[in-house]
Amino acid sequence: MKLHMLAEQVRADLLAFSRRPETLFFTVFLPVIFLVLFEAIFGAQKVMSNGVELSQSTLQVPAFMAMGVISASFVALAITVVNRRETGIFKRVRGTPAPAWLLIAGQVVTSLLIAILMVIVMLLLGRLAYGVTVEPRHIPWLVLVVLVGAAVFSCLGMMLAALTPSSEAAPPLANVVVLPLYFISGVFVPVESLPSWLGTIASWLPVAPFVKAITWPYSPATPTPWEPLILLVLWGAIALAIASWRFRWTPRRG
Amino acid sequence: MTAAIIVEGLVKRYDNRTVVDHLDLEVQQGEVFAFLGRNGAGKTTTTEILEGYRTRDAGNVSVLGVDPASAGPDWRAKLGIVLQESRPLGALTVRETLRLYAAYFPNPRSVNDVISLVGLEDQTNQRAGRLSGGQVRRLDVGVALIGNPELVFLDEPTTGFDPEARRQFWDVIIGLRNLGTTVFLTTHYMDEAQVLADRVAVLRDGKVAALGTPAGLQALRGDVEICFSLPHGIEIAALPQLSKPAALAGGEVRIETTAPTADLAALCGWADSKGLELPGLTVERPTLEDVFLAIAGDATADQA
Repeated sequence: MKLHMLAEQVRADLLAFSRRPETLFFTVFLPVIFLVLFEAIFGAQKVMSNGVELSQSTLQVPAFMAMGVISASFVALAITVVNRRETGIFKRVRGTPAPAWLLIAGQVVTSLLIAILMVIVMLLLGRLAYGVTVEPRHIPWLVLVVLVGAAVFSCLGMMLAALTPSSEAAPPLANVVVLPLYFISGVFVPVESLPSWLGTIASWLPVAPFVKAITWPYSPATPTPWEPLILLVLWGAIALAIASWRFRWTPRRG
Repeated sequence: MTAAIIVEGLVKRYDNRTVVDHLDLEVQQGEVFAFLGRNGAGKTTTTEILEGYRTRDAGNVSVLGVDPASAGPDWRAKLGIVLQESRPLGALTVRETLRLYAAYFPNPRSVNDVISLVGLEDQTNQRAGRLSGGQVRRLDVGVALIGNPELVFLDEPTTGFDPEARRQFWDVIIGLRNLGTTVFLTTHYMDEAQVLADRVAVLRDGKVAALGTPAGLQALRGDVEICFSLPHGIEIAALPQLSKPAALAGGEVRIETTAPTADLAALCGWADSKGLELPGLTVERPTLEDVFLAIAGDATADQA
């Protein structure tokens, strides 16, 4: 019965997501548009990555795959959760027999499904348009990284939602957090071309380790990057603690 | 009949302000109970304590035999709640919204039954974001009814409605009453209470200032009011002896009387014998609105 509830919740959340043009554009289409543009502009360049020469084209596919996962699990999730809280929808559902976890699980599962969709789109686009492939033996790692990444960025999204005061503040806040991180974490610009102090700062923040872990299957010359994954999980734990501390179901004004 | 809601000595304070001040209340099963008061009188605070959203500082509360402060999902399954400020998800259609909420409840009504109960048959596949204000509110009530509740809370459901939308909304509530559902209705419209409610409580400064049937409340100020303009050239002292003294304001004579027949007879006999007409003569019972204004106090006094 609880699973039936979750299925209905996810169905409704996915329907609502797919009908909001702005979230659909920023979450689904923007990473794809960026990939296509960046491939056209920088695809032919060569880059040294961990001592191996790679084409920029190869690195950009996982980079924008990471962006797709972060858009779904962090940006879209935070904006939706704030919206549901401020319009009284959470409060209303809390007045029904539905358990509290259902609302969070609905959001997390919905964004996970969108994140998986983004990964599949990027995998196909990389393979068909740019001839960039992942060896089958690296697929389990990719699955692990995407699942951990989606979970961690969902925690970070819940934390941001808990700290965001209003519906109006949610989209700019989420983007202010995420855009600079894309620049310094190897999404828009290779980490190798950053000043080293900036790269060092970025390497301790959540986006860079995720990009590093998701890029590995595309350039697996180095040992499996467990350290970034562990760092990511630590971030998730911190975010979850802050989110549960500050989270509320009711609108700020109510 | 048994009580659906029992409140004894309920107290709620915000900082140092007492919003609900030793409130006592009993709502019987199957009745439509209207909870009236001005903004800031404590209506929503009381309602949200009954719904389990807010904690209380003192007093006993029992809703369907359970203390809302410690109630669980089984208790919430018997309630339907329409919050003062809530909007359904604009991206979902009427049917999708009701289907989702039906999944939250153990024994939901059928979605189609609820759609016809709230009169949204023509909007079934319309997104909530494209409904009119009145239709959104009816969908809200539909969401409150989907779980087949024993008790429904409606917090100021018709605020901001045009008269047509209000009348349609009233039909929904009358339909609910006919189904035997207990309704706890918060409103600041007296006419709404008059049409819908079996009993009315008027709240003032966090206390029940008056309680009774709409007719009973009206009887609290049972006086009939006789009004007319003072005929030209006649002093107010020249009027015949009446059961209550006449008041003069702006050329308008006003007599609040409990003996309207005798007073009218005296007045008319007197005027007739002098060959006078009493211009603009009216005999009126005060409306429930007047009663409410007298009990609830003037607007400025209750501003919180």
